[in-house]
Amino acid sequence: MKLAAYYWERIKRQRPAMFGLGFIIFLIILATLGTYFTKSPTKVNFDEKNLPPPGYTVEHSMYSAQNESFITTLQEGTWEHPLGTDSMGRDMLAQLVSGARVSLLVGLLATGIAIIIGAVIGVTSAYFGGAMDDILMRTTDVMMTFPFLLLLILIMYLFGASLTLIILAIGLTGWTGTARLVRSETLSLRTREFIMASKALGAGDLRIIFRHLLPNTLSSIIVLATLSIPGAILAEAVLSFIGLGDPTVASWGNILNAGQGSLETAWWVAVEPGVMLFLTVLSFNFLGDGLREAFDPKGE
Amino acid sequence: MENSAVLSVDHLQTCFFTKKGKVMAVDDVSFDLLKGEILCIVGESGSGKTVTALSILRLIDHPGRITGGKIMFGKKNLLELTIRELQDIRGNRISMIFQDPHSSLNPVFTTGDQISEAITAHRSVSRKEADARAIELLELVGIPIPEERFHEYPHQFSGGMKQRATIAMALACAPDILIADEPTTALDLTIQAQMLDLFSELRKKFNMSIIYITHDLGVVSEIADHVAVMYAGRIMEKGCRDDILKNPKHPYTKGLIDCLPSEKGKPASIPGTIPNLINPPEGCIFHPRCRFAMEICRLRRPMPSKTNNEHYVSCFLYGDI
Repeated sequence: MKLAAYYWERIKRQRPAMFGLGFIIFLIILATLGTYFTKSPTKVNFDEKNLPPPGYTVEHSMYSAQNESFITTLQEGTWEHPLGTDSMGRDMLAQLVSGARVSLLVGLLATGIAIIIGAVIGVTSAYFGGAMDDILMRTTDVMMTFPFLLLLILIMYLFGASLTLIILAIGLTGWTGTARLVRSETLSLRTREFIMASKALGAGDLRIIFRHLLPNTLSSIIVLATLSIPGAILAEAVLSFIGLGDPTVASWGNILNAGQGSLETAWWVAVEPGVMLFLTVLSFNFLGDGLREAFDPKGE
Repeated sequence: MENSAVLSVDHLQTCFFTKKGKVMAVDDVSFDLLKGEILCIVGESGSGKTVTALSILRLIDHPGRITGGKIMFGKKNLLELTIRELQDIRGNRISMIFQDPHSSLNPVFTTGDQISEAITAHRSVSRKEADARAIELLELVGIPIPEERFHEYPHQFSGGMKQRATIAMALACAPDILIADEPTTALDLTIQAQMLDLFSELRKKFNMSIIYITHDLGVVSEIADHVAVMYAGRIMEKGCRDDILKNPKHPYTKGLIDCLPSEKGKPASIPGTIPNLINPPEGCIFHPRCRFAMEICRLRRPMPSKTNNEHYVSCFLYGDI
């Protein structure tokens, strides 16, 4: 595709976008292949709990029943656990890699669901207009005003927390922005002559929607999708952080939650997933902005 | 030229139901389109030419609706077909091209892609055959190096080239009728002359009938076989080209011809503007602007009367009242 090559040239010129893209690719490789090289993220080992990353030393106090007093030992990080361990001796690197998998899964799938629902609702609403438009857009308004976190908490409370449910819940509540955007783009496209022309050539509604309307809104959809992935990732992290996440998987939110209590003694447990979240969200935002810049016909 | 009508529009009426009231955009329009002829529909902006054309393919969108009449295509009344049957005719038997070539093509697909699509929409041919046919069509409408142009996007085409490409799309299934809605208005004059030649040539090649909508009497004089003059949604006068241009009967047609610059001096203009169609004037719709308006013009609506062979005029100055 010549068009793809053209946009690639334009994205390449933007450093932040390229940084974002690089980090996202790194993250994808980490999430897919990383688990083959790391230890088990769930293996508990109390002999090695709260180990710092290599190069750091922390004081470790333990009550000894034998001596009836606290014994303070110095613990030094080892290369065995390059990012340290948490309070149950689980390897942090392994947990972060597994968390990357969870975060990407949530980010991509939830956004995918939201984008598909939003695009279908937006395009139907604008293309058919009339009563259809009113019904769909008022539904969107109601969805938009509904407190999203409360709804998620309610769903988690009612049905219990599982990763599938979290993905579905975020996806099924996050489509409103897409619906609005696609609707407004379709409204302006609908009056363009090529839509009338393809009707005059015998195209049916489905062909017009899928061949003409959606491909022409695709650049906006891609930008919006890239920018809403961090929202979905953060939503999962927030849910996990407040204890409503899936307890069976090691997600960044879960690790953060576990690490917040021991910030003074084992700062790395909370800081490491925090940094990963920060970089991931930043990367998707950089990439999204870069894409928007590249797709903007006025940007030349 | 055979003397049989491929399309006959009979008492067509199309209304737009706006918030301010009902607008009769096309009111009691009748005409026949003969096999292999070019029929020009002429009129000012807002006279209902485009709405007439869109009504033929039933492309009128909400809030408009065709409220009466018949459109006979062969033995079928287009107004009674289901949407499926209609889609089978659109682009296949009757095609249409539009005024602005710059927005008539989808910007995100290659031009060739879109022509192939027009073929595969109606014919069960393989992608390869459709592509080959599309390249033939591009060549037919006069696009140089069609094999390369096939892979280019619309923005890489000039205005004239785009219009040629839309014509190629419209011709994809060798339709019986081509409706061209001011296809040269957005193009410059030299291209316009080339396009008119192209239409005449294609008409001969495919033995196809063309409805050509224009406001330009110069274009009419070059390509028309028959002419229908529209004003405010009604046909004022219709007949062969020479009758209309050289021997116009209706005061409105005369006015239009007087508007053309000539050696006689400053071109005249018709005083006033097209009436508000929500509250159209009673009687003859042209009477407020007519130099020859009589008492009866304010009261009754003139019916078309035959002045001579094939020449009809809707005016009380002619025929019996």
